[in-house]
Amino acid sequence: MLCFILLARPEFSRAVEEDSFKRGVTAAQAEDFPGAAAAFESELKQRPSSGAFVDLGIVEWQRGHAGAAILAWERAAWIDPFDARAGQNLKFARSVAQVDEPELRWFEKASTWLPPNAWVWLAGVSLWLAVGMLVLPRVFRWRKSGWQQLLAALGFCVFILSVTASFGVVSRTDIGFVLKKDIPLRLTPTSGGELVSTLPAGEPVRRVKTHGNYLFVRTAMSAGWIERTQVGLINE
Amino acid sequence: MRFLTTILYLSLLAPVLVRAQLPVTLPPGAAAQFMVPQPAVDLARLGRISATAMFDPPAVRVGDTTFYRVTVGATENSTVWPEVISVPTELKLGTAIRGQVGLEDGTAFNPVTGFVYEVTPTAAGRFVISNFVISAGGQSVEIPATTLVVVESNSIAPAAVARRLWLDVSSTNLFVGQPVRVHVMLPAGPGNQIDFLSDIQFNGSGFMTDKIATRQTVEVVNHDGQQKPAYIFETVATPLTAGSLALSAQGFTAGRNFGGQITISGQGQPVVIPGGVPKSVLLSSEVVHLNVRSLPVEGELPGFTGALGMFRPDQPQLSTNRLRVGEPVHLKYGFKPRTNLTRYVPPEAPRSRDWQIIADQPPGGGFTLIPLTDEALETPAIPFSAFDFATESYYDLTIPALPVTVIGDGLPVQLPAWSSDDDNSEPRKLSALAAMPGKTVAGLKPLQLQGWFVFLQILPVPGFLALWRWDARRRFLEAHPEIIRRQKAKRDLRREKTALQQAVAAGDAGEFVRHAAAAMRIAVAPHFPADAQALVGGDVLSQLDDAGRNGTSGETVRKIFAAADAQFAATIPARADLLGLQSDVAVTLQKLEEKL
Repeated sequence: MLCFILLARPEFSRAVEEDSFKRGVTAAQAEDFPGAAAAFESELKQRPSSGAFVDLGIVEWQRGHAGAAILAWERAAWIDPFDARAGQNLKFARSVAQVDEPELRWFEKASTWLPPNAWVWLAGVSLWLAVGMLVLPRVFRWRKSGWQQLLAALGFCVFILSVTASFGVVSRTDIGFVLKKDIPLRLTPTSGGELVSTLPAGEPVRRVKTHGNYLFVRTAMSAGWIERTQVGLINE
Repeated sequence: MRFLTTILYLSLLAPVLVRAQLPVTLPPGAAAQFMVPQPAVDLARLGRISATAMFDPPAVRVGDTTFYRVTVGATENSTVWPEVISVPTELKLGTAIRGQVGLEDGTAFNPVTGFVYEVTPTAAGRFVISNFVISAGGQSVEIPATTLVVVESNSIAPAAVARRLWLDVSSTNLFVGQPVRVHVMLPAGPGNQIDFLSDIQFNGSGFMTDKIATRQTVEVVNHDGQQKPAYIFETVATPLTAGSLALSAQGFTAGRNFGGQITISGQGQPVVIPGGVPKSVLLSSEVVHLNVRSLPVEGELPGFTGALGMFRPDQPQLSTNRLRVGEPVHLKYGFKPRTNLTRYVPPEAPRSRDWQIIADQPPGGGFTLIPLTDEALETPAIPFSAFDFATESYYDLTIPALPVTVIGDGLPVQLPAWSSDDDNSEPRKLSALAAMPGKTVAGLKPLQLQGWFVFLQILPVPGFLALWRWDARRRFLEAHPEIIRRQKAKRDLRREKTALQQAVAAGDAGEFVRHAAAAMRIAVAPHFPADAQALVGGDVLSQLDDAGRNGTSGETVRKIFAAADAQFAATIPARADLLGLQSDVAVTLQKLEEKL
């Protein structure tokens, strides 16, 4: 099963077809930012990668799309929390655009320590390791030893942490970012709804519920309905 | 040939000659400023307004057409003409026209107003329209009496024939808005005298005529089978309403004001341009009826602005295909008419989410496009269509979208050094481009939200359950070893039975005895428990009930074990009859197996 999982991973099955990515880099270096953005989007449609998201964010920033750039870097950090460029660009962009980071709960913060999928794998492995360490010695009549019990205890601890972080990962899927500037936040999910406030590009929002083409979102300061197309959710 | 050449020269000369006939088009008051000599208004003549009346021609046949002409030396507005004039009942009045022209005799300017009635006599005789008085220029003016001589219809035609204009319309079956070419022709008079026309008007409602794009020529025309030189005034009329429209023309004859007449000789009759003071005679044409239809509603295409006729679109051109947001770019287009008579109404600027579109002021053919976002990858397609009269259908002339590259207003990629002196934790610039894709995933949706992964996570559960079941079974068998022994005995017994059958088939009595004894030992071994090889016939007999032990089964056991023991003797007796115990052995083994 491990072999299957490893072979199924995109980086193993991926052919050496990085034309879209290379085209994007070349176009960005030639300052053809719309062309570069199109190439990176094509690349990401086939193979989402942290590097392509970082580069897409840079070209979107160069085009003046602060919201799209921040969303791209957030996605890069979502894929690879250890990507230093994504973190650096997010800090820079937020200081320039004067927008806040999304407010994360403690378990959501914990979920950012590792890639989202790592947590769930870790939860599975640790749980069954702990169960195995309790069951297998008895079944196979191994001699009881301290390391088995230590592994079981460790496994359960990691499992509890991983489950919590996994819950944080799921919770973070409701976080999105406003794509364009001065997007209206309305009191009702209608185009003529009363204006609550306008949101700047890159402003983080948290989805609460959906109604038709509108999302009810909470921001750091207010809550209201926003048009679905004006928000980019982190995991879409 | 010479005649035709002359006519050709005359045709070429005509626009020059006729242009002198056209009124000077100067703005009000400009004539005095430019010192253009103008004739004085003949105030003395205005003080004594006169009028003339005549039939043209004065003698006709019954049913022929003549014109009752009245000329008043006053302006049209100052002349009060009666609604109905009194005429003999034998004279049938037809179409009536009126018009005003200014006459110049070289020294003075005199306004003249003409009234013309088309008259058709219904009987022969001498008919008089008696004199009557009208008001003109604030005076009472007497219209003199005039006489018309009418002869029978079968009489020899009078020499004089009524002069009238010929009106030719290039098409009489039209659509609303369809331009049509109109020719007003004045055929040469007696002696091939060519008169020109001035103050031409078109009578009727529901159409408009072009006052600017006109042409005047003298050509030989074919009218009702007659080849005749004629003065031609050409313009374009456009019907404005649907239905049956009546169109007629009127105009004043005008001479050239030459000292004498000009005669152009050639093959055939010479053409004469009369000289002297111009004779302003108001002439009219017959009515031409136009059948005008509305444009069909069905099949109308987007972008129809009212353009009519066939056009060929030019390739649209952009001033540049690389621009910034908010930077205007000019889109130039062109539509060349494929036929002479078209009505070009330029396309209107459509609304677009990504572009601001401003149409050029006429006659410019283009649009100014301003991109509002850098997401625009091409200019907007501008819908346009026209109606083709020939096929009576609409056709598409949409200006296609052209690819462009729109560059947005970028954001700063580096902060000035002074802006973050107090906060060194914030990065001051964007990172460089990533050269490699880096960590790759199958999708951004986390595994936690994917159903197949939950299934994968519980896959170890069946494994652990199987392990638990296996362990429990193992412990049970450890507590009950007889189960294993019996199962082993049964397996061994099946093997010995097979060997027993093979010995019988081979007729080998020795093998038969050996396998029969072994099978019996195996069948009873779990009951002691003991190794099967350690058992003897008595042990087998002890497992049989009393009836079996004293009956056939007991006897069979004894014989088999006796024979088996005899095999260890010095001389092995050949006991072929032992094979006859085959059925008894099978019954005995059946009984022993049932106890396992």
